This record gives sequence, structure tokens and C-alpha cells, in this order.
Amino acid sequence: MSSGYKPDILWSPHHADRYVICDNELSLYRIGPAGSSETKAGALPLSEETAATLLAINSDTPYMKCVAWYPKHEPECLLAVGQANGRVVLTSLGQSHNSKCKELMGKEFVPKHARQCNTLAWNPVDSNWLAAGLDKHRADFSVLIWDISSKFSPEAVPAEKVRMSGDADSGLVVTKPLYELGQNDACLSLCWLPRDHQKLLLAGMHRNLAIFDLRNTSQKTFVNTKAIQGVTVDPHFQDRVASFFEGQVAIWDLRKFEKPVFTLTEQPKPLTKVAWCPTRMGLLATLTRDSNIIRLYDMQHTPMPFGDEVEPTIIERSVQPCSESIISSFAWHPSAQNRMVVVSPNRIMNDFTVFERISLAWSSTTSLMWACGRHLYECAEDAGQGAAAAEKDIATKMRERAQSRYGHDTVQVWRNHVLAGGDDPQLRSLWYTLHYILQCSAVALQGTSEFLLMKQYTENVEQKQQSNKQSLIYSGIKNIVKSSSGTTETRRCWSGSDRQTDVPRYHSEERSLALQLCGWISRGPDIDVEPFLKSLEQEGEWERAAAVALFNLDIRRAIQILHKGASSEKGDLNLNVVAMALSGYTDEKNSLWREMCSSLRLQLKKPYLCIMFAFLTSEPGAYDGVLYESRVAVRDRVAFACMFLNDAQLPRFIEKLTNEMKEAGNLEGILLTGLTKDGVDLMESYVDRTGDVQTASFCMLKGSPGEVLKDPRVQCWIENYRNLLDAWRFWHKRAEFDIHRSKLDPSSKPLAQVFVSCNFCGKSISYSCSAIPHQGRGFSQYGVSGSPTKSKVTSCPGCRKPLPRCALCLMNMGTPVSSCPAKADEKADLTRDKKLAQFNNWFTWCHNCRHGGHAGHMLSWFRDHSECPVSACTCKCMQLDTTGNLVPCDSV
Amino acid sequence: MDLHILDHKLRVTCISKSGLEHYTHPLIKLIFLRNRTRCKFFSLTETPENYTVVLDEEGFKELQPSEHLQVEGSTWLPLNVVSNGNASSSSQAVGVTKIAKSVIAPLAEQHVSVFMLSTYQTDFILVREKDLSVVVDTLVEEFNIFREEGGESVPVHSQDACNGLQRNGREVSHATVHPVLIPENHFCVMSLDPDTLPAIATTLIDVLFYSNSPKEGASVDQDMECIKFFSFSLIDGYVSLVMDTEAQRQFPADLLFTSSSGELWRMVRIGGQPLGFDECGIVAQISQPLADSDISAYYISTFSFDHALVPEEDIVSVTEMLQAQRKDMSG
Repeated sequence: MSSGYKPDILWSPHHADRYVICDNELSLYRIGPAGSSETKAGALPLSEETAATLLAINSDTPYMKCVAWYPKHEPECLLAVGQANGRVVLTSLGQSHNSKCKELMGKEFVPKHARQCNTLAWNPVDSNWLAAGLDKHRADFSVLIWDISSKFSPEAVPAEKVRMSGDADSGLVVTKPLYELGQNDACLSLCWLPRDHQKLLLAGMHRNLAIFDLRNTSQKTFVNTKAIQGVTVDPHFQDRVASFFEGQVAIWDLRKFEKPVFTLTEQPKPLTKVAWCPTRMGLLATLTRDSNIIRLYDMQHTPMPFGDEVEPTIIERSVQPCSESIISSFAWHPSAQNRMVVVSPNRIMNDFTVFERISLAWSSTTSLMWACGRHLYECAEDAGQGAAAAEKDIATKMRERAQSRYGHDTVQVWRNHVLAGGDDPQLRSLWYTLHYILQCSAVALQGTSEFLLMKQYTENVEQKQQSNKQSLIYSGIKNIVKSSSGTTETRRCWSGSDRQTDVPRYHSEERSLALQLCGWISRGPDIDVEPFLKSLEQEGEWERAAAVALFNLDIRRAIQILHKGASSEKGDLNLNVVAMALSGYTDEKNSLWREMCSSLRLQLKKPYLCIMFAFLTSEPGAYDGVLYESRVAVRDRVAFACMFLNDAQLPRFIEKLTNEMKEAGNLEGILLTGLTKDGVDLMESYVDRTGDVQTASFCMLKGSPGEVLKDPRVQCWIENYRNLLDAWRFWHKRAEFDIHRSKLDPSSKPLAQVFVSCNFCGKSISYSCSAIPHQGRGFSQYGVSGSPTKSKVTSCPGCRKPLPRCALCLMNMGTPVSSCPAKADEKADLTRDKKLAQFNNWFTWCHNCRHGGHAGHMLSWFRDHSECPVSACTCKCMQLDTTGNLVPCDSV
Repeated sequence: MDLHILDHKLRVTCISKSGLEHYTHPLIKLIFLRNRTRCKFFSLTETPENYTVVLDEEGFKELQPSEHLQVEGSTWLPLNVVSNGNASSSSQAVGVTKIAKSVIAPLAEQHVSVFMLSTYQTDFILVREKDLSVVVDTLVEEFNIFREEGGESVPVHSQDACNGLQRNGREVSHATVHPVLIPENHFCVMSLDPDTLPAIATTLIDVLFYSNSPKEGASVDQDMECIKFFSFSLIDGYVSLVMDTEAQRQFPADLLFTSSSGELWRMVRIGGQPLGFDECGIVAQISQPLADSDISAYYISTFSFDHALVPEEDIVSVTEMLQAQRKDMSG
């Protein structure tokens, strides 16, 4: 018989670590951390962390149908057991020294007519009251409320009638219930209402849910439904009740008891248990027969009560506490959040915590927040130094760079890489490239303008050539070398030596332009690298300087540089050794020097030293050791190539390198591609790799011909960067960027978006000034320009009628703002007002109520008010402005 | 008061004693193997004459027609009175008595034939499906009537299409007075946890199917005083048993449920000849005087006769009452 009972589980109401498993006997378990000293022998593992120890077993009560745990602290282990014959027996688990408990132990409550006891519930307030729900009997009540403190009353049953009750009359039997409810009806489930402990909710056989009030039992509220197999009140929302029948759960609102507020999706198998989570709002767990999953319904965001027209928002999930086994029953832990213990039919138990769905939010300032259960986690980027700093997210980098005005240095363009942090070699190369491009183009322009001044309108052809040259500068070395013509070949001596070299060097106008763009020489056609060497020496780039000197066939200078480097502060003494090795240079093909240098150079760690020996030991025209040394800056390799590769080799090498750079999205390649479509392609792969739309935007804005700016990709980067600035609330930075942009790309200048027209004649009051190209100036005469001494116009230029008055100062618009009556402690505000001076005179008005006035006045009014300053107007102007309450993140 | 028309369509059948062996298989299946059949309403009553089986259509499919099986032609619907909780706790009378005035008498007046089936849990009033509209019209003033369909209770309202007379198309006739038999045995009405049904299976089979065999010789003598009567029903998962104390002794005492007072009942069997199904007012004849005297009763109709159970302490007054009634009628 016992096999027919499926184990159920019951948490102790007061001991968070104890629970009872009931099947044909009651077993009390204590749950504890697995592996702790208390729980080692005979502990059953419940999960990776917890284990249960059997504390006591009680098998005194056969034919157990339902169990309820006494709700008060004392006596702590008192249980009421409802039996198949309807008797309710009080029993306990473990020893209790409480005298009250001893008195109550074994007490039986016997109904007049025996039938199954379906459910038991202790009154939460008056804990002497125990409600028992029984099956129906034709002549008896199905809900009996027993008072456990009542004494046996022998006179209640006449002696001759006790024939069949046998051993029952031992003095512990109570046959007279306190209340009897629900005649001719079965009670399948019941619960006391937490809102009013005198009220009882019953689920009865005749398809009724009924609420009885014990103070007046003849009165009841009831509703006809088939969802009557079980009822349970939401502990967090005392008017919300879940009841179920077969596979269906109905949710009720006791205030609108006529029909369920909603029903949950029906399950194909009958439900066996439905329970609200005691530690989490609106979470209902359901279990169906022979299932290994528990279904959870999250009603946290379901409004109660909600109207009929709204679809309830219920999030349904299912969890599988133990991988394979069927779940017989489960019970929520009374205090640990979202925790439950499940038990399988063969009594295998599992401790399980339901994880909350995680909701996640990214902030525009790279911090990440997520909420899980009652915990809120914030994940901010670690502002560590060194290696960690290099790994910063690109958004953080862009934000920092925006704050340091990255991209805005238009005079010393190369300095922008310093503004960007100065630690990115690609950015450094990019900004130097742009710097050289702009420098060259400035020179070319200068040339053009000088040229124009001298020979105005005379020789158009020449002029065209000049402008061709200028556009060539932007088109990158790749295109420059393509157009190369008239290359001359020279063989020069090693400077400071009479020995003739057999190294051919190539010259042309284009090649020297390329060298200029590489930064090796500042102005062609003479190749004088001395200033470049000096600057490299200054920066301590000894190896690079030595290499450049060597490539200019000046071994002595190279040795000198190395020597200087070795003797400098923090100098590397090894440079002296290199200098020594270099000084032994011989052009004899089979010398030991050559042999040793060509093999040992590969072991040199510094790339520039390595290519120096590669150059010296290479056959003329075969400089792969130099050209394909990827650790050497592209700029230097290209410059080298322009000097030593012939017209056939050079474009091939440049082409190859360009494609490599484009593929890798390496910004050093901008030198080769220039600001052309190729350059945009390269930038595209750079943006794809890094997401750095900021650099992309600034770089492409420099593309003077404006061709690249029309590329939709470029527009996309620019728009994204502007949005990014807006999202960071860097509104001033964005405005600054827009100004910067409109200077470089006049087509991007925004059209006037605001016009002020006269109330009387309807003409724009700025109409008369519209000839002036800059839109903003149109209003300058209305005191907007910031200079109060300038002439003020307070009337419409069209009809001479006065302009509207400011709602606050009641002066006509166009009058400059008088200084606010500021208190002494508002000094900070004063400086702020001063800064805003230009804006203070501006027209502003509410789009809703159309009241307005001087912007400065309005700003200060709405700092303390939300309603319109016009006395009769109740417009909540400020609340209508969704961005009005946001403060810019960047300082003004 | 609510009246529920339950969602069962019932057939009333009768298996002759000699033909029982042909039906033991379906009967055992219907009694013990609840999971194997979809029968929700099953009642088996053994009387000295035959076995009356009342069951729903799902269960009826299990019974093979044969010469040993008599089937009443109509479909019957069970009615159930629900007292709505706030019932008369003043009156101790239970069962048929409680509904005698409100249901049985009005139906008798309208010549609706009823078939009563009392169980431990409740009383079912079976009426023919074709009489339903009359039943509704008759009782709609007294009761809130609900019809249960697929688990939901649907309120039923009177069609109001019929006039007061000739509702049933039957003539008003005077009730005949049937002879009654009051056997000596004491009966008890009991219930059982359906889960423990397997535990008493052998005893139950023994009592139901082999009751006659061992004491064949003795029963001749006893026939006048004691009659064999045993009723088992399994309706909507509830078990109800009616047996005499002799049979009860064969069952383990701790499994059967009964009232704590251990009340015993005496039987009044109505009818000398098989009563048939068309005569109406038989139940009313008995229940009316019992209700007048506030005596509680069980009432179990079978294929041939009706049986009323009254508390043993009331049997004397019941006997007197019935004799007085007989005199009135004949006089």
C-alpha cells in the first residue's frame, strides 16, 4: 500500500534548515553545507553545496493523507496529520520537552462520519484552530474546524453508540468541532485568508470556491469554477489566489471574485502541486504528474487588478531541478531566495535554486549593470594602469579622447596623436601622414597662389598642373609613384669616403614628393635629411636615425648617431658595438664581414639595426630584407623603396604593401592610399576591427577634395560619432565637432532650423539679414550678439511693430537681459551666466503654450519651477521637454 | 438549494443470479481496475432475486448482452441536491428524508418515475432523460438548477413551454399500496478509501459473488427473517458500501469508514411483486411519512424492489406508521 503514496515535502515554518518528507511515515531532515563536520555521516547530498541529515522518523500515523506544520515557534515540531479515515492526529518529530507539546501529542480529532481527510490548515493567528477539509458525506459537513486545546467531552457520545469506535475513547479523542462548514460537499483544499484570519477559502466538490467568514457562517461568497483541486494565497499579494484543476491554473483576485482574472496555459497532464514563491513577488511554481520539470510563472509585472482589455504579462519558464528523475513534489524554502527542495518518487532529494532572469543594461559610458534576483551588479571598466590601460574599450578611449579635444588641433596636426594618448603607433603614423599631406598641400597652395599672383589669368595650363599636383598629394604614394616619370639614376659615393658605391639611387619629382609625405625631407627636390635626423635624435630614436643616415649613404653620420645614442642618458651601450660593426663595412663580396653580418643580423632585436645590415649586405635592387621587415614603420620602408627601387619594382612593392595594409586595416597605410576611395576602404577595415569612428571621422574630414566625404561610409561614421557624443551628453563637444566639420566640409553646414516671424506682418524678423551667409548673424542685431552696446532692435524690421515681451522681465524681445538680481552665494551661477551671456538674449518659447522670453530668464525660471511663468497659464512647459532636465556631461 | 444534473448518462440493468458467471470479468474490471475503464458511475446491488447494476454508458459497453442481462430501455440522469452550506443544522434527518418534500413529492405529483440511489456520500435521484424537461419545470421554483457539462456547472432555466396539465402524458392514478417486508438483519452504510480497495478485494469478491454457496442449507430457514442485501458503488472515485453486520464482520475493521457513533440501520423492502419502472410515487409513499416524523433514511432502488434503510431505533415507529398508512389507503 505504501508504494501508492508519493512523498511530499514540507518546510519547517521557523527553522530554515529543517524539512519533513511525508509518504507513509514522516522523516525530519536537516539541511546543511555538504562536507561540514556536522553533516558527514549518513548525510545525503542534495546539491554540490548542501547535504541533508535524517534527524527523526515518525511512523505512528498510518494512512496519512495530508500534513500541516504548527505555525508558531513553540512547540516547534508539532504536526497535524490528516488520515484516510478523516481523523486528524497531532504528532511530533524528535524529542520535545515542551509540556504543551506533550499534552497535545497523540490527540485525535474524529469526525462523525469517517471519510478521507484531504487537507489541513492551521489558522495563522489563532493557532489553536485547525481546519480540516474532508470528503463529502451525505449527512455531514466537510470542513471541520478543531480547537486543539479543547478537552475530550464524554457526554457528547452516548455510551451504547461507541460500539464501533473501539479503542478511540482513551481520553485524547475530540469529536466536537468548533465550527462545521460545507454540508453535502467535499472539501478538496482550503486555506485561511491572511488578510482576515476569520475567513476561510474553500475549494469544494460542487465546483465552487467559497469564502466563509467564521463570524457569520451562514454567509458566504462563492464562485462556480472547476478549478477547485487546490487553492493557495499569494503571500505577497493577499488578494491574489491561485487555484487549479487538472492541467489548468486560474488566478483570482478576491476583490473581483466573480471570475478568474486569468488562467494559465493548460498543461496536458494533471497538476499535482501549485505554490507561490514566499521569497519573491508574484512567482508561481507548478508541477504536473510524472514530470521532471517545474514550470514557473512570473507575474511580477502583471498589474493587479488589471482591466479586461489588457493581455496579462506573464513570463513563463521551466526549470529542471534534477536532470532525469521525475519530481514527486517540491517545496519553496521559507526564507532563502528562490530556493526549493524537490523530491522524487523514490525519495531522492535535490536542493535547487531558481535563478532569476537577468536583465541587463549598457550605459553609454561603458558601464554595464545587471540585476539578478535582489542583487544589482555593476561592471565598470577597470581604470588600471599599464597593460590594462591599453586594453581599454574603444568607447572609453573615444570618450577620453573627445574630452582631450582629439582631432581638433588643426595647426599642428601631428599633435592629435598626442591628444589621443600618444600610445598608439598607428594613430601616430596616421596623424603624421595627415600632417605631411596638409603641409605639402599648403606648400603647393602657396606655390599656386604665388604663381597666381604673378601670372594672373595668363597661363591656365600651368595652373591646372599645380592643382593637379595638389590633388595628387591627397591621393597617396600609391598614385604618386604610378604617375612617376623622368626618373634619373645616380650612383653616389659614400659620404665621407671616396669609395664609389654600386648602389643605384633613383630620383624624380614624384619620388621626392613621396619622401616629403614620408617625412624624410621637408621640401624637394634636394634630399636633405639632416633636419629629419636631428628631430629623430631629439626624440631618442637612435636606431631609426642611424638607419635613415645609412640609407642616405652616410655611414659616418650613422656611426656618429649610434655613438651619441650609446652615450646618451639611458643609452644602450650595445649601440657602440653596432657602430663598431658598421665601421668595418666593406663592399668586398666575399669578405668575412659580409658573411657574418648577413647571418648574425637576424639575431638583432632592434628592427632598424637589422635592416641596416640587411641593406649593407644586400645585392643592389634586392632589398627584401629591408622592405619586408614588418617591424619597421611603413613610412620608412616606403621612403627606402622610393630611393632604391627602380620604376618597375617600386609600384609593385607599393601595390603589394597597400593591399596588405588595406586588408589589415592598418592606419599606417593611409600614407599609401591617401584620402581616396582606397583610403576609405582601408579605414573601413580599421573601423570594422576597432570601432573607432572618431578617428575615422576626423581623418576623413581632412580629405580636402571632398570626394571622400561624399562616400556613404564616411557619412555614416560621422553621424555615428555625432550620435555617440550626444549619447554621452557631450553636447558642447558635438557642437564643436559640427563647427569643425562645417569648416572642412562646407556642404555639411546645417540649414537654419528656427525662424522667428513677426506676429503682425508674418515676415521673418531675420529676413532683412538673410543675405549674410552665416545664419546665426541674422539675429545679432536683436541683442543676441552678446555685446549690449550694439544697437538693439525691439521691433519688426518689416512693419515696425514691437516684438513680443519676455514673460519674465516684461521687456520687449531684443532688449538685452539685465543682470539677474544675484545673491552673494550664487557666485558659481554668475560665472555660468556670464558664459551663457550670448545665449541669454536668445528667443525661447514653449511649443505648447507659446509663452516664452529671454532664454536666460527662462532657464533660471525653470530651474525652480515646472509651470509656465505666465500667471494664468498652467502649462508644464519643462516637463514637456524630454531633454530639458538633462545636464550636459562636458563642461561648457 | 441547488440541484445539479450530473454529467452521467446511466443505464439500469439486471443480471440474473444464474447468469452471474458470465459477467464476473466485466464486474471485477469495473470495481477494481479503475484505471482500465472510463466508467465513472458504477453501482452493484445484490438482492435475493438478482444483481442490479447501474452504470454509465462507458461501463455499459463492458456488459455483453445475453439472456441473463435485462436492461431497462431508457437513459437515466442522476440528480443531486446540494444544500449550499447553510443547511438546516437543526434537523438531524438525513438522506432521502431531507429531499422528500422538496424533490420526491413534487416529482411524484408530476408522475415522474424516479430511481433512488443513496450512498455514503450523497443521494442520487435518477430520472429518465426524456423526463428532464418536466423535472426542470417542476423543480425550477424550488432550486437553482445546474447542469454539469465537461466539468463546468451551467445554470439551467425552465423552458416554460409546457402547461401545468398533462405534462407527462400520463393519467393521474391512485397510488397502489405495496406490501412491505422488514427483515431482521442490521445494516451498516460504509465507505472506503479507494486506494485501499485492493486490500479488501478478496473479501469483497467473496461477499459479492459467493455469498450463497456455503450456507445454502441454512438460508431456507432464515429467509423470512434475514434477506441477502449488499450494495457496492463507485461513483466519481467515491466508494460506498451497504451490507449487513454479518458481512461486515468479514472485512478488516480498520479499513472501512463509518460514522463514529456506529449507527445501524433496518431495512424496509417495498413491493411484493417486481415494481417495474413506470410506476411513480413509490418513493414518495415511504419518504413522505418519514419526513413528517423527521426520521432519516437511506433509499436504494433495485431492478425489482425498493429498499429503504431507517435507523434501528426508529424501526418500531416506522412499522406502526406504515401499517397506519396501509389502513388509511385501504379504508
